[in-house]
Amino acid sequence: MSKHDFDVIGKDQKRKDGPKKVKGEHEFADDIQFPMMLHGRIKRSDIAHARIISIDTSKAEALAGVKAVLIGSETPIKYGIVPQMPTEYALAHQKVRFYGEPVAAVAAVDPETAERALDLIEIEYEALPVYTTPEQALAEGAVKIHEDNKFPGNIAYEADQNFGDVDEAFKNSHYVLEKVFKTSYVNHVFMEPHCAVSKFDTNGELFIWSTTQIPHYLHTHLAKVLQMDMNKIHVKVTGVGGGFGGKGEVSNNELISALLARKAGRPVKVLYSRKDVFLQHRGRHPIEMRVKVGVDKEGMITGIDYNGTMDGGSYGGWGLVILFYTAAMLHLPYNVRNVRFYARRIYTNKPTCGAMRGLGGVQPRFALESLLDQIAIDIGMSPYELKKKNAIGLSHETVSGQVVRHSEFRKCLDQAVANSGYLEKHGKLPFGKGIGLAGGYYISGTAYTLYMAYKPHSSAMIRVDNESGVTVYCGATDIGQGSDTVLGMMAAEKFGLPFESIHVVSGDTSLAPFDLGTFASRVTVAAGSAVCKAADNVLEKLKPVAAIQLGVSTDQLEARQGKIYSVFEKSKEIDFWKVVEKYIDAHGPLTATGNYTPPRRTGNFKGANIGHSPTYGFSAQCTEVDIDIETGEVRVIRVTEAGDCGQPINPVSVEGQVEGSIVMGMGQALFEELKVGKDGRLLNPSLHDYKVPTATDIPELKTTFVDSYDPDSPFGAKEAGEGPIQPVIPAIFNAVYDAIGVRFTEMPITPEKVLRALDEKKKQEGMQS
Amino acid sequence: MHCEPFEYEKPVSLREFESLYAAKGEDAKILAGGTDLMVLIKEKLLAPRLLIDISDLHELQGISFDSRQGLTIMAGTKIAEIERSALVKEHAPALAYAAANLGSNQVRWMATMAGNICHASPAAETPPVLLAHDCELIIGKQGGERTLPISRFFLSYRKTALEPGEYLKAFRLPPLPERSAVAYRFKGLRRAMEIDMLNIGAYLELSEEGQSVSDIRLAMGSVGPTTYRATATEQRLKGMQIDDEFFATACGGVVQEASPIDDVRASAEYRNRVIGVLTRRALEECLEIIASRGNKA
Repeated sequence: MSKHDFDVIGKDQKRKDGPKKVKGEHEFADDIQFPMMLHGRIKRSDIAHARIISIDTSKAEALAGVKAVLIGSETPIKYGIVPQMPTEYALAHQKVRFYGEPVAAVAAVDPETAERALDLIEIEYEALPVYTTPEQALAEGAVKIHEDNKFPGNIAYEADQNFGDVDEAFKNSHYVLEKVFKTSYVNHVFMEPHCAVSKFDTNGELFIWSTTQIPHYLHTHLAKVLQMDMNKIHVKVTGVGGGFGGKGEVSNNELISALLARKAGRPVKVLYSRKDVFLQHRGRHPIEMRVKVGVDKEGMITGIDYNGTMDGGSYGGWGLVILFYTAAMLHLPYNVRNVRFYARRIYTNKPTCGAMRGLGGVQPRFALESLLDQIAIDIGMSPYELKKKNAIGLSHETVSGQVVRHSEFRKCLDQAVANSGYLEKHGKLPFGKGIGLAGGYYISGTAYTLYMAYKPHSSAMIRVDNESGVTVYCGATDIGQGSDTVLGMMAAEKFGLPFESIHVVSGDTSLAPFDLGTFASRVTVAAGSAVCKAADNVLEKLKPVAAIQLGVSTDQLEARQGKIYSVFEKSKEIDFWKVVEKYIDAHGPLTATGNYTPPRRTGNFKGANIGHSPTYGFSAQCTEVDIDIETGEVRVIRVTEAGDCGQPINPVSVEGQVEGSIVMGMGQALFEELKVGKDGRLLNPSLHDYKVPTATDIPELKTTFVDSYDPDSPFGAKEAGEGPIQPVIPAIFNAVYDAIGVRFTEMPITPEKVLRALDEKKKQEGMQS
Repeated sequence: MHCEPFEYEKPVSLREFESLYAAKGEDAKILAGGTDLMVLIKEKLLAPRLLIDISDLHELQGISFDSRQGLTIMAGTKIAEIERSALVKEHAPALAYAAANLGSNQVRWMATMAGNICHASPAAETPPVLLAHDCELIIGKQGGERTLPISRFFLSYRKTALEPGEYLKAFRLPPLPERSAVAYRFKGLRRAMEIDMLNIGAYLELSEEGQSVSDIRLAMGSVGPTTYRATATEQRLKGMQIDDEFFATACGGVVQEASPIDDVRASAEYRNRVIGVLTRRALEECLEIIASRGNKA
């Protein structure tokens, strides 16, 4: 890192939004008020699977203060984040598919009136059988949850991929291990519930303020569902109190607020309760995975065979994309030449699963890192040695054709192991205490848009003038991850100006040029590249002006510390703002744009577009646990992490991402689980009963960067938002194995499961002796 | 969230409160902190016509101690004040500890111990400690009051011995004899902000020579419809020497007297198994406290 001499990059930068958030000044969607604004509320189904026979809204409409009532037949246009496979409606149309599905909506003068009106809406249903597990939904004769689904029964999507010869590889293996793993039904639990405010002006143009990760996709969905021209719709992203993928799809409340606003002729806000958030869901897919891994005598992986059944919930969402990501995530961060993948995603009568931090990676990583740990132990090798041997080198091409242009994964393993004392501890701690190692990686962006398009994925415009300073316009969305800060830091470094002097305007489809949105850990590399190119283009215009003023050639000029100067003779310098003034005096306004399109790669197999990324981030973690063998409590006491995120742009933000990832992963490993009743009802849709870790549960966190710089990335940077969650869960599971000799394969590891497993173990040991 | 409309009164003296409550008690609910009550109202599980806010009644505030009566905690005292009180830390440290583990900091500054008791949840934090202390409840009504041992307060699931027109006025924890201690243990899935899967309050008093049990109380939470004492086990333990058999009898006894159910937080099987572990740990802690006091003296 020290090789590069930066003034702004790589130095901890306080975010401009930080103090504002602390003081309650940062504006979130629920802070927005308009004169005459109405409050929308949603009537949800009290049945999980049924045909809608009739809806009577007359009593609700008659209630004083109610300004509009809306039902599904008024908006029968299907949409979906994957535009080729739309499955959803703003309000249930003809059928409901999960308990708590939006069926009708009311806009009224205040929330209380709207809620009272909901109670007056009468709905008659014809009940259908309820399927809360893939097993039930796949049973012979099961009713189709989506009648127009092209796949048989309730299979939402099905695919296989095959590389090399897995059967042959297993035949020639020294050791083959197969296990079934099950992951749990978990929600993101971002702090801020969904909220959207819609307002039509007199000319019929729609303005919507929403807490979203994807203003562009919201823009396209609104145009489709409201049947409006996109240029009549203005999407404005407010402060976003976390998203983690959960706001990476259009949410019903956004469409409903716009539809109600149009019908009532007044602005409408639709704010979700926490229960609504759990029903909107889009959390991690529970997957049952049968995974088989073979190794040779040296511990080199010979092949992987994966068979997974994903519980998708009731709608399509990101599902098929995630299915293919799961396939892509089987290869890295190890070198594997024979891989067989089969997966299907199943519709069930539950809130829909979708994108959640590290999507596609977390489940297969859990299975593979657990299996590799067990295989190493079984063949008498340190898990570290086995993983190091198989780890990819500085660059790599997977058997499925993904090109990793830069990797320091081996350094991650070395550094996490050295900093934690893993080799001195593993297998040597007293019963009840253990340490586990796991590695992981993630994409830094995607090669393709969700719909076929050749436009750049990110674009930026920079305007420089002596009145307003430097303003960076970029469609990227800061959802709390700090992208406005990172993009501003990049512009500051390029211009040689302090970060504080850069203004970033983002997340507004009317003001900022196009960007796909915040997902797939794409923003630093994609939007960062666009901003850097725009800045270079501004400098291209400024340097000739400075060159003439200084009497030197353009190519020897550099912009730093507020000056433009000759790198050969520093006394030949001129104030940056003086050059700007002279440029504008001579040429008029100073603006420039930049854009970024990732390298396109694909292959000759189904899903080949998915998984390619310009570059990849890596990490390794050593996690220590302490288990109370009398109560079964698993306490994570320390996590030592080493990450390859390239050059960290804002190191303190990266640390935040890593620490947040560890705590989030730990919640899924130990506590969190959405529980569903037989009738499809969520049993714990509140933060009272759905247990995310608290401050007192957080272990000691030792996070470090490995020395890394991706020369093809903006300032050498790669992702850090989703990679660090990949190793968390298997590292905990591996540590639990080290502590008590029990190989758990199902999340979460609750105290009950620990006690039961210890009993079982004792029984078996008794039988053996 | 909308709820059924109700009226709201905020009396400024105990007399005013008592006459209001006597007149309208049947349709009224007392609002102390509201951390349970408002949730129940919003979830439409309760629909009182009137809420009487007692937070301004200074007569119901405060913590005091005298060597004859012991520790008195008035009903309107906030959980956070109990958690921080030097008097509570000195005379009932297990209560301060249980208070510190109730809900979040924000909840503790709103909630009162009277609310925690009167909602009579079997998973509540403070009842096991108060039962271990054999606390006396002072129950008020217009123009009078009565006292009731807490062991007779919880009748069944969320039902208490309060008669119409009565309200909980104060807690009185008798002074602890020499060679005695109270300990509190609980188990939740995570370490804070929990509804306990299990909890237990234990009182242990040793005989003069310090080798045997002269008195013992074991109060268990989340293993039945109310928090209650394992009285049969207590009887068996009295007079026993402190040895392995004592612990075995205690742990075996509480499991026998527990009658837990499966619920969203834990299975009956788990509760049966771990109640004994918590009991042993609580009793060990009592012994440690007694020993450390003896050393100091």
